Amino acid sequence: MIWVETVVNGMLYGGLYGLLGVGLALIVGVMRVVNLSHGEFIVLSAFIGVSLSGMLPWVYPLALLLPVAIIAFGLGFLLQAALVNRVVTRPDPFASILLTFGVAVVMRNLMVEGFGADPRNIPSGRLAHASLAIGGLSVGVLPVFILALSVALFTALQLVLTRTRFGRIVRATADNRDVVRLMGVNPGRVYNAVMGLSLALASVAGMLLAMRSSFTPYSGVERLLVAFEVVVLGGLGTFWGAMAGGIVLGVAELLGLRFDPNAGPLYAHLLFLAGVLLRPNGLFRART
Amino acid sequence: MRTRSAVVLLAAGAIVAALPWAIGEGVLRLLSEFLLMLAMAQMWNLLAGYAGLVSMGQQVFVGLGAYSLYLTSVSLAVAPYWALPIAPIVCALVAAIVALFLFRLREAYFAIGTWVFSEVVALIISKIERLGGERGMGLPTARLVDPRWLEPLNFWISAAIAAAALGGTYLLLRSRVGLGLMTVRDNDVAAASIGVDVWRNRLIAFVVAAAGCGLAGAVSFTATLYVAPSFAFDPNWVVEMMFIVLIGGIGTLEGPVLGAVIYFALRELVTIAFGLSAGWYLVGLGTVAIATMLFEPAGLWPLLRDRLRVDWLSVRRIPPPLPASAVALRRAPADAATPASRYDATRDGGSSRSAG
Repeated sequence: MIWVETVVNGMLYGGLYGLLGVGLALIVGVMRVVNLSHGEFIVLSAFIGVSLSGMLPWVYPLALLLPVAIIAFGLGFLLQAALVNRVVTRPDPFASILLTFGVAVVMRNLMVEGFGADPRNIPSGRLAHASLAIGGLSVGVLPVFILALSVALFTALQLVLTRTRFGRIVRATADNRDVVRLMGVNPGRVYNAVMGLSLALASVAGMLLAMRSSFTPYSGVERLLVAFEVVVLGGLGTFWGAMAGGIVLGVAELLGLRFDPNAGPLYAHLLFLAGVLLRPNGLFRART
Repeated sequence: MRTRSAVVLLAAGAIVAALPWAIGEGVLRLLSEFLLMLAMAQMWNLLAGYAGLVSMGQQVFVGLGAYSLYLTSVSLAVAPYWALPIAPIVCALVAAIVALFLFRLREAYFAIGTWVFSEVVALIISKIERLGGERGMGLPTARLVDPRWLEPLNFWISAAIAAAALGGTYLLLRSRVGLGLMTVRDNDVAAASIGVDVWRNRLIAFVVAAAGCGLAGAVSFTATLYVAPSFAFDPNWVVEMMFIVLIGGIGTLEGPVLGAVIYFALRELVTIAFGLSAGWYLVGLGTVAIATMLFEPAGLWPLLRDRLRVDWLSVRRIPPPLPASAVALRRAPADAATPASRYDATRDGGSSRSAG
């Protein structure tokens, strides 16, 4: 029974990993940019969440998800407009990799100077310890909420991209940025919005992760690695693939920890390597 | 030309040999660190700038080199320097085996694959009690070396490694393998179609870079007398290599030298002259990287090279003269083409190469 419980908890945890990766998948899919500062933005949004909940202690932490996501959207918009758009058209992939890498290093160390290197977390109140008994299994309320929120956000993202005018423009820009210009679309502006959306999704994951476990300014590297694994395992640029990749990694990590308590993310990494070697294009290939 | 280079090399060798008596121990240690970092950066440059392999897990070879040296030296009870050759051998073997798997991945997948591989090795080593687990292990056999000779020896070995990294990369790139590598980097499909063995060329570059990083990492940890997984497999190793190469100029041999000078000058200036914490130094380094990518994406060496009109270590090849009809056909596009190509080699548009 304990194994079933571990698998279920791994799946719930994996929804969060999927959320961590989907923002990265969006960026890779739309503008073929690998954003190495993704992890630092995840950590920064957690710091913003901590500061907000310190300033507004009477507000329930989960209610801060929306304001933090809006701030993260603005930061992403600015990052893209001020920096990334200036290198995104260059043919070599190094330009955007090193640029976002420089942003990551600057942000990480500014966060160390500004917030200190001590581990922090966002208090999640009674919800953190509440659990439900479903058919003999004990399942935390917070993980269930996290998975439900992840699925809702994935569905919303999918609907926005497939059913709305904005989504149509984003998909067209991803297909061919030169042709959409002929139709009167400014690809730079589309990219601004997409980067904002990517970091807004990442900020939700960052806040939820900070409720589950503590973080430091240096956590960005680990979060980036998880996000990358999720994206690559799922297949670069696919959204449901990212969700599935996250769940697979979450289950692998918790099963590994059950099997060997001081293994850390070792088994998730091994599963990632095995998965990518068996299916070099990801478990779920992009249709387009 | 040949005698002049020989004189320059001899003079450089004499200076390196005499330097430990001329300068203080602190400066000597800094110089050793500089030379080792330069060697590692040159290896990363060989991979990313010439072989088209962006490794984000190069620190795995730094760590494996250090651990193989420590284990050999401690279990055989010999001075660490005698165990030095084991580091590149272990790293080359691991690289050759891992390449079978990792080379199935391309570009971003390869970069992430190498990074995850490094994390896996670090996690496994931190579970092995024989190697001290997460606490790490010391190097008691360093006592077998006369302490007065420790720093000079480290310095000479570091200088030799840096020279070998620079010279070896130069010779490798001027060889058939180097031409193959650059052809593959510029267009792998075209390279394969004219019979270049893409896989073999990449494997040679990957194995050489692993051995070089392993050797430099082993020497680097001989100076610290202590190794732990969190230091040996620190992703900051590859971060530093990347910074040095990209700021100096990727795909040029002089670029990493310039990049390493900038890297260390900035570090000493910020932490010693201004007395700021290492955090602010890294903020400065990140800002330099952002500015480089925005304003001079090819790095600083190509800029300086064109200003000084020098071209010391070019591996550019001058193509055979074209038949008259082809010259007539090519004239129009050649005038319109921009001369600033991103890479140094195998393009016929840039300035002609000075004879080595």
